[in-house]
Amino acid sequence: MSGLSGAELERYSRQLVLPEWSEAAQLALRAASVLVVGAGALGSPVATYLAGAGVGRLGIVDADTVEVSDLHRQHLHFTPDLGVAKARSAAAKLGFLNPDVVIEPYQVRLDAANAAGLLAGQDLLVDCSDSFATRYAVNAACCAAGLPLVEAGVLGTSGLVMAIRPGKTACYRCAFAEPPPEGSVPTCAEAGVLGPAAGVIGSLQALEALKLLTGVGEPLVDGFLQVDLTTLAFLRVAVARRADCPDCGGA
Amino acid sequence: MNRTLDITGLTCPMTWVKTKLELERLAPGDRLEVRCAAGEALENVPRSAREAGHEVDVDGTTVRIVRR
Repeated sequence: MSGLSGAELERYSRQLVLPEWSEAAQLALRAASVLVVGAGALGSPVATYLAGAGVGRLGIVDADTVEVSDLHRQHLHFTPDLGVAKARSAAAKLGFLNPDVVIEPYQVRLDAANAAGLLAGQDLLVDCSDSFATRYAVNAACCAAGLPLVEAGVLGTSGLVMAIRPGKTACYRCAFAEPPPEGSVPTCAEAGVLGPAAGVIGSLQALEALKLLTGVGEPLVDGFLQVDLTTLAFLRVAVARRADCPDCGGA
Repeated sequence: MNRTLDITGLTCPMTWVKTKLELERLAPGDRLEVRCAAGEALENVPRSAREAGHEVDVDGTTVRIVRR
């Protein structure tokens, strides 16, 4: 693998100077393929930071189009993008941000049927989806493929982040065995969400993704971070792997 | 191993970026001689190198670093 070019040294200089970072970390990012599922409130900061940081290949999965009610919290999309597919809108902005990153938009909803195909060739998945159905499908698919992932969710002014190395650390389903019953949890549309709350959770998610990709720092594995942004309470909850976990128990 | 690096044409933060990455390629105990321009680089590079735990000696505009 060849070293960093002069242009890359300039672009990434503010992270290369960090004592924790290194040329090896930067080259690991450049060699990495990451799938971001969802180009909305969490996907915007995640994809922005990963593209900016220099991830080599970034897949963006989103079936929806940009609506005016998305714009307060989904900073990859702007008013002229109304009606445009989010995957395509996001890919355009990410291309402006960092032309060295290969951006691959997928205008589909990830489900059990297409998950394996979307995961093929990826080094990491970041789940920025907004539904429990997708979240459980992502966790099952990542466990089956042995693909590291960063889970997160945000609602109102609180959220959750969890890094997972399937087969080695507790998975999402080890922590939350079953999805909540249909209708018991308000959706984002019903409950609302503040833009900066999503920004905080998505930024934490991007940070965890960088840790898993480079080995820099200590990833948030075998537990999750529960964040309440009204009181600024950050609570780290430990989770152990479950031998009878339907997703990772046999791994 | 001894290496030399000329950063006289660079400005912050590239002065330390180049020096830091060169140090990453060396083994502990190896020496790096960095030629700096007087001024900002000569102030920042020795300080950053010391903060990173390396042994540093400044001679004129030459900064000699022993990798930790």
